[in-house]
Amino acid sequence: MRNTFNEQLEQLNVELIKMGALCEEAISAATKAYLEADRELGQRACQLEQEIDHKERDIEGQCMKLLLRQQPVARDLRSVSAAMRMISDMERIGDQASDIAEIARDIQSNQLASQVPMEEMARQAISMVTDSVDAFVRGDLALAHSVIVQDDILDHLFLQVREELIGLIASGKNGSVCLDMLMIAKYFERIGDHACNIAQWVEYAITGQYEDD
Amino acid sequence: MTAKIFRNSMAVGISVFLLSVALFMGVLYQYFGNQLTEELETEAWLVAKGVETMGMDYLDGLKSSSRITWIDQDGTVLYDSVADPATMKNHADREEIQEAMLGTQGTARRESATLSEKTFYVARRLEDGTVIRLASAQYTVVVLLLSMVQPLLIILVVTLILAAVLASRLSKRMIQPILALDLEHPENCDTYDELAPLLTRIRRQNDTIGRQMELMGQRRQEFEALTENMSEGFVLLDQKGHILSYNTGTLRLLGVLPPAEEANVLALDRTDAFRKSVEQVLQGVRNQCRLDRGGRCVQLLADPVFRDNQVAGAVLVLVDVTEREQGEKMRREFTANVSHELKTPLTAISGMAEIISNGMVKPEDVPGFAGDIYKESQRLIALVEDIIHLSRLDEGGTDLRREQVDLLEVARKTVQRLQPLAKQAGVTLAVAGASLVMQGVPSVLEEMVYNLCDNAVKYNHKGGTVTLSVVPGESGGEVTVADNGIGIPAEDQERVFERFYRVDKSHSKEIGGTGLGLSIVKHGAALHDARVELKSTLGEGTTVRLIFP
Repeated sequence: MRNTFNEQLEQLNVELIKMGALCEEAISAATKAYLEADRELGQRACQLEQEIDHKERDIEGQCMKLLLRQQPVARDLRSVSAAMRMISDMERIGDQASDIAEIARDIQSNQLASQVPMEEMARQAISMVTDSVDAFVRGDLALAHSVIVQDDILDHLFLQVREELIGLIASGKNGSVCLDMLMIAKYFERIGDHACNIAQWVEYAITGQYEDD
Repeated sequence: MTAKIFRNSMAVGISVFLLSVALFMGVLYQYFGNQLTEELETEAWLVAKGVETMGMDYLDGLKSSSRITWIDQDGTVLYDSVADPATMKNHADREEIQEAMLGTQGTARRESATLSEKTFYVARRLEDGTVIRLASAQYTVVVLLLSMVQPLLIILVVTLILAAVLASRLSKRMIQPILALDLEHPENCDTYDELAPLLTRIRRQNDTIGRQMELMGQRRQEFEALTENMSEGFVLLDQKGHILSYNTGTLRLLGVLPPAEEANVLALDRTDAFRKSVEQVLQGVRNQCRLDRGGRCVQLLADPVFRDNQVAGAVLVLVDVTEREQGEKMRREFTANVSHELKTPLTAISGMAEIISNGMVKPEDVPGFAGDIYKESQRLIALVEDIIHLSRLDEGGTDLRREQVDLLEVARKTVQRLQPLAKQAGVTLAVAGASLVMQGVPSVLEEMVYNLCDNAVKYNHKGGTVTLSVVPGESGGEVTVADNGIGIPAEDQERVFERFYRVDKSHSKEIGGTGLGLSIVKHGAALHDARVELKSTLGEGTTVRLIFP
């Protein structure tokens, strides 16, 4: 009985890792779609978003089954409930990636992107998502913590991008492109927040303490 | 154990108790019965004497615990100490009376109707023929037992408590030495003799396990030493995708930290390609894929392991193929370049020859065309020669003979050969330095020095200088070719040694050359274990040093 339970828990872990990998792929595809104006990658990002949604439902079902049939306690219960929270954050990351890809599809030129630290934001967001999934895979508390700390960098970058975009609009550049860019920057910032949340759930699963406590 | 001992001691206690109760009851009951009869006999004799002397008066004044009945010769009751004689039946048929009538004394014992009592009768015949009978009752065994229930129960309870206490004490004391057994070192244990065979056996098994563990440890160490020294990555998986074993090469190639014990293989890498490859291999399909890891290209070979026609696991081998990829790319480029370089002069030759053969050229112009054809074919020959040189050097120069070479001599010869060209370009060529004799392949060394000087003359200004100096060192020495020509831009300095690389692509045709000169220098230097150092400033000149160890 316990054996089945452990196997199911492990299966859950593997699925979570896969979902994390899908998120990483989606966000880097979306970023490339935007920065390199690659339409195919944009479509790929939207496909991945759907896969992520499926995965979320799958994992949710698995978690429910585990909770109802095995009635886990203590640490196991924490992992299952952390998993349930994590997947909703991952799903949001997938959504935002596909949103970025959609804006990238409609945007006419990405020449302005090199004038603001957009690429840096993308890199930072991707690395935070990667690190948070890594922290989960390895159960690495220190790494999870570093993701939470990194969020400030991304927030700061967002403010910087915003300032510079305001400057660009004021200097008479294409306003609608600037607004689209602001949206994308905001999405990156949100992705960072979700990565941060995932890291917090990893901390919770390991220590039983939630950062906001 | 405690419960078993308790049950046993309880059983012993209770059975001893029951046996002794039965024994006492049996023996004592008999004894008391006999005593009672004897007493009754004595009393009957006394009462008989009393009645003989005093008659009824004696009976009236008598106080006795026994029941006394006086019976006439015909059996009529004359007196009874308990009941009214008038109501009593004739006693002539009673056993003890009849016995007494015949002799002098009769005894009998009868159970009472309720079974709770037993009555002893003793009858004695008087001299006048009447009979005195004494009766005394005794409780039966059952009644006696019933009356003793309470003390018996108390004794039972005490036995229970005693048995429990003893049992727990006993089992504790018995188990104590067993618990204190040191199973790691059973030979040092001083315990019950009965356990000796068990301990011997444990000792033997300990030895066997120890030996096997040691052997396994050794094997494992050997295995690890082998896999650790592989530059390739190596991962063993079980059929569920858990990592059984991996080497540090894996971590280096994938750029990950060591995963937890028995972690899922996805902890190593979770990219799409890797996941699919692992999924397939665990279904028994051999496959391979490419992973891009931070600029390095890693090839993953996944091989399933079968046992009884079932997938029992998988072996993943990771190979860094970055260099191979780069090599392949370079070879492809080289082939493309060679074909291009060969085709250009050939096209020119073929074109000119065609015009001549068609008779479209005036006879007086033919020598000019022939000169062009000659020039182009010379270029072709030079190119092919260079390629042959290079490919020979590529093979490691195994078929090239080494002999004593004086580099100063080589330098002088080269300068002589290049003097006409230098004069044409208005460049001064000079040799300096001392004799430097070393082991080397003369043709290659000549080619190297020639190419360097040729470049120095070609890429120079009018009135420039080229200095060739040979400086012997402690063991080897160096050859330096310095010019004050046009120099090489910093961004191109790294690439000039590549095959067919030209700094100024647009004027290469005017200047001539094959684009292979410096590549030959590089390979020739490698053949002689020498180092090539290039220093150049754009517009000021270039210095190339060949440092021989």
